[in-house]
Amino acid sequence: MIPLSDREVAAEIIESCRAGDREALRVLYDLYKDRVYSIALHFFRGDQPTASDITQQVFLKLMTAIGKFKGEAAFSTWLYRLVVNACQDAVRRRKRVGLTTQRDRLEEIAGKSSHEDDYAHAQSVQLVRAAVSALPPAFRLAILLRYFDDLSYEQIAQALHCSMGTVASRLSRGHKLLAEHLKRLRWETK
Amino acid sequence: MRMFSKHVSSLLAAYIDGQLRAREARRVTLHLEHCEHCRRERELVESGMSAVEHLSLVHAPDAIWTAIEAALPSRPLWQTQRNPAWRFVFATLVFILLAGAGFWVFEQRIHRPGMAWELRPIQGTPVVNAKPVHGAVRVGAGEWIETNSSASVTVKLGEIGVVDIGPNTRLTLVTARPSENRLALVRGQIHAKISAPPKLFFVDTASGTAVDLGCEYSLHTDEEGSGQLDVTQGWVAFQWKGQESLVPAGASCLTLPKAGPGVPYFDDASGTFKRGVYNFAAAKFEGPWLEVILGDARVRDTLTLWHLLPRVGVRDRERIYSRMAALAPVPAGISRAKVLRLDPETLKRWKDELAWVW
Repeated sequence: MIPLSDREVAAEIIESCRAGDREALRVLYDLYKDRVYSIALHFFRGDQPTASDITQQVFLKLMTAIGKFKGEAAFSTWLYRLVVNACQDAVRRRKRVGLTTQRDRLEEIAGKSSHEDDYAHAQSVQLVRAAVSALPPAFRLAILLRYFDDLSYEQIAQALHCSMGTVASRLSRGHKLLAEHLKRLRWETK
Repeated sequence: MRMFSKHVSSLLAAYIDGQLRAREARRVTLHLEHCEHCRRERELVESGMSAVEHLSLVHAPDAIWTAIEAALPSRPLWQTQRNPAWRFVFATLVFILLAGAGFWVFEQRIHRPGMAWELRPIQGTPVVNAKPVHGAVRVGAGEWIETNSSASVTVKLGEIGVVDIGPNTRLTLVTARPSENRLALVRGQIHAKISAPPKLFFVDTASGTAVDLGCEYSLHTDEEGSGQLDVTQGWVAFQWKGQESLVPAGASCLTLPKAGPGVPYFDDASGTFKRGVYNFAAAKFEGPWLEVILGDARVRDTLTLWHLLPRVGVRDRERIYSRMAALAPVPAGISRAKVLRLDPETLKRWKDELAWVW
């Protein structure tokens, strides 16, 4: 097994993926699946089937499009661009069929913390999720990319097809809006 | 001075994250020293940033990889692309496969409408359309499958999943189309593992229809409709005459003759709680068992309480609402009055929020 850090993907793995080797895809999948899934899940307000679809699409797209990955950007940046495209496509599809980006089905959220039995913690988590869900999609994506993989502003800019200045502005406005939403939600739930 | 006249709101996240160049960071520092407005904004951005720390990484369900594998070509591409000789072999194989597939499709269209499922006996001798089966066979819409006390079979539903059929089971395949796979379980037990998108696989029973929402589950029923659904992965919706129970992984739901799906409960709930749910349902959702349920409910048992809301009278509904509000914060926009009126949109929104802790 080739040792991989969370942030570096060996060139051999990428090369094997280009050749259609599913074992190599499995290595990449294991490395990124939880982050890709978590971003999609939080982007679509906990909609598990949609998050699963997005994750599946991203890794299938990875296999067909990896020939276009030239190594100019980090692999993770390229992968998250696929995630962003898949999320945006799903939003467009939902709009076309008249669905909002709100969740419309019940889903299981795996990996629940045992702390969530604690009322105060459950309340905080619930409010943060609700506040993140209420952000405009562009702000939401920037925050999720920054938080779940600690991408640099430059990497986020590449993934979102925008400038670093736009990323900085979206993160500032997004976090500010998030704090304001939270303040209002906390007041309303008192 | 110019540096003090232009607010730095849009740079604050980058400033806090240390992503600004030294010169720009100094400009922001100087600006903040003199601008009350931007200092307040910085507090908000910092507060937003620390709030995001509450989000946790969620593990991707195993079913995703199963679906990816199913969608990948069966042979690694490199085996067919590097060597010209292999290309010829590959092209010949593709031709043979296409010809075979064409013949198979032709056969299926002539002999059987829709797709066919592949059935294999696991043990004993199952029966298909009253004929004993000893090896793998294909079954299509309208055909009956039956097992006695010593037989069991496994059925592959194309690429979408597998259904194991236990002993003493009788069922028929109702529909086998890419957009809908439906069987009717008359009696007995099945175990389904489905890796397809939701709402492609349905099981009709005398007490309702189990709708797969991307999941793995066991279902047993008798001919009257008494039975139980146990979900091990994903979600199953159990529907009957407009009534619906949503059962997540780790939860179960009893099915009752002429009463449809029961109220789902988590398998790790206390014995007292589960007894309470059973007895309360048996008493047609009236009487003292509600007290037992409310007294023993945990945060995730709001799954059961939420399902009870439309099944009880107004007074009991008020008690359930109060207990749910004490267990998990009522989200903004969910009004007590609307919950008590069973406003569908309000109940749906509350359910969506509660599902995070289920």
